[in-house]
Amino acid sequence: MDDLTTLRALGGELEHEPSAAALDGQRRRLLGALDGSLDGGRRGRRWPRRPGARGAVTLALAAAATAAVLVVPNLLLRGHEVPSPVGARPVKANEAINVLVAGTDGQAGARRSRGEDVGDPRANAARADTLLLVHLSADRERVSVISIPRDSMVLVPPCSSPAGKTVPARIEMINASFAEGGMACLWKRVETLTGVRVDHAVEVDFSGFKGMVDAIGGIEVTLPSPVEDRQAKVRLPKGRQVLNGDQALGYVRVRYSLGDGSDLERIGRQQRFMASLARKAAGLTSDPVRLAAFLGEAAKSVKADRGLDLATLRAIAESLDGTAPGSVEFLTVPVRPSAVDPMRLDWDRAAASRLFAKVRDDTL
Amino acid sequence: MVPTMTAPPTTGTCDRDLVRESWTRPEAFAALFDRYAGMLYRYVSRRLGPETAEDLVGETFLVAFDRRRRYDLAYADARPWLFGIVTKLLSRHHRTEAARYRALRRSPGEGVVENPADRVAAEVTALACRPVLAEALAGLPPRDRDVLLLIAWGDLSYEETARSLGVPVGTVRSRLNRARRRIRAALGETNPMHEEE
Repeated sequence: MDDLTTLRALGGELEHEPSAAALDGQRRRLLGALDGSLDGGRRGRRWPRRPGARGAVTLALAAAATAAVLVVPNLLLRGHEVPSPVGARPVKANEAINVLVAGTDGQAGARRSRGEDVGDPRANAARADTLLLVHLSADRERVSVISIPRDSMVLVPPCSSPAGKTVPARIEMINASFAEGGMACLWKRVETLTGVRVDHAVEVDFSGFKGMVDAIGGIEVTLPSPVEDRQAKVRLPKGRQVLNGDQALGYVRVRYSLGDGSDLERIGRQQRFMASLARKAAGLTSDPVRLAAFLGEAAKSVKADRGLDLATLRAIAESLDGTAPGSVEFLTVPVRPSAVDPMRLDWDRAAASRLFAKVRDDTL
Repeated sequence: MVPTMTAPPTTGTCDRDLVRESWTRPEAFAALFDRYAGMLYRYVSRRLGPETAEDLVGETFLVAFDRRRRYDLAYADARPWLFGIVTKLLSRHHRTEAARYRALRRSPGEGVVENPADRVAAEVTALACRPVLAEALAGLPPRDRDVLLLIAWGDLSYEETARSLGVPVGTVRSRLNRARRRIRAALGETNPMHEEE
């Protein structure tokens, strides 16, 4: 007996016959609309917003949607958006969406989230600790997250900081662009280095990430051995455990006590952690209270470009509805130890350009 | 074997003519309701249960009526068009649907209807497989599940499914293959009686 036969049998079991009353009621509903169309002319009915409110699930979804709509504009209207790059840029070749995400380690961010006024955020040279290029395929079936090691030594093109100061071309660590010229500078350089048109940029303050983890009730990890790292201020026993915000922040930052101590090892750990955070956050739609708390925390620590407005976010979210968590792929730019500094990394040029060609052509 | 539940009507005006007639004479659209409401109700009741099915079928015909001028008159059979609308409306209920399948996994026997004798053999097997099958269905990505169920439960062909969803036939094939692989893997793991084709 094959799988379709078994499935059909299950379908037969689940099936219900419509009662005459049920269909009658719906038929009258249709006839009402037919009538209305005669005297009302063309009303142009749109897709209904919500199915007839039924049961707790519908309510929960409605509450979650309301919470999201309340919080998201807040997030986007905070007044310090990321400015988009100026000058010649790679052309947009297809409907795929590329988003540059920088995780920053700004003390300014931490103070701001405590409610202190620290003035212009760009005046505080925050460091971009984590760089990601997120690619959503044109059909929205696949999501790829490419980590760019922050220790990558790259020939950076000149660019202008928001203050108008010109930063000249030279070989340096990729995240130096951020410290010097902010997100706009980093954005421009990533486009130049990869040839990929980056549609949006998002800056996430890691100190706010702590609050996000707490808001969703912690993240589960399994540690092969206990961790004690004074630099990252973290002390964790061996084995499976749920990390709170503080511990989670330490865990993703630790570089020396876990694994082989390299930045690549840390990237792998961050990717696993993000996957687990994403899974947990995806499950939040059934828990509106937590979702609102999570979005509220996210709002404190996320900055985006002006183009990433509510309508765009909603379009992206809708187009991703149905993308399985399993279709998210995590990659890293191919690298090898740097020729100029063995503590740093050089991109494997051939392999890296093959990877970015796939991003450009949407064939990842 | 489950009887085909969605055979097109063999007599009378074809769907396309009804849709076209409804452009000028809206009441003609009611004939489409009489033709297909039961069929769509049965399909939705499988996926979401009878309570939601009633409302969703009503909604489907309201949407269809308002989009009747966009109906592609190249097609005589309106089923794929209607199933496309149903699928879109169903997409708001994916979580409810997955929860429904998961509930089956937990409480075998709930919701079982009286079986005609010729269906018993198949359903005994289905009953035994039900927990894993339900789990596998719940775990499928919604897009793959839509394709699988339009074909297995809606009795649409590959081409009709493609038309319903507005995707190429190749996409239907690949989604179906992926879904069936997952279902077979789930069945294979727990049912030693199951034979691969």
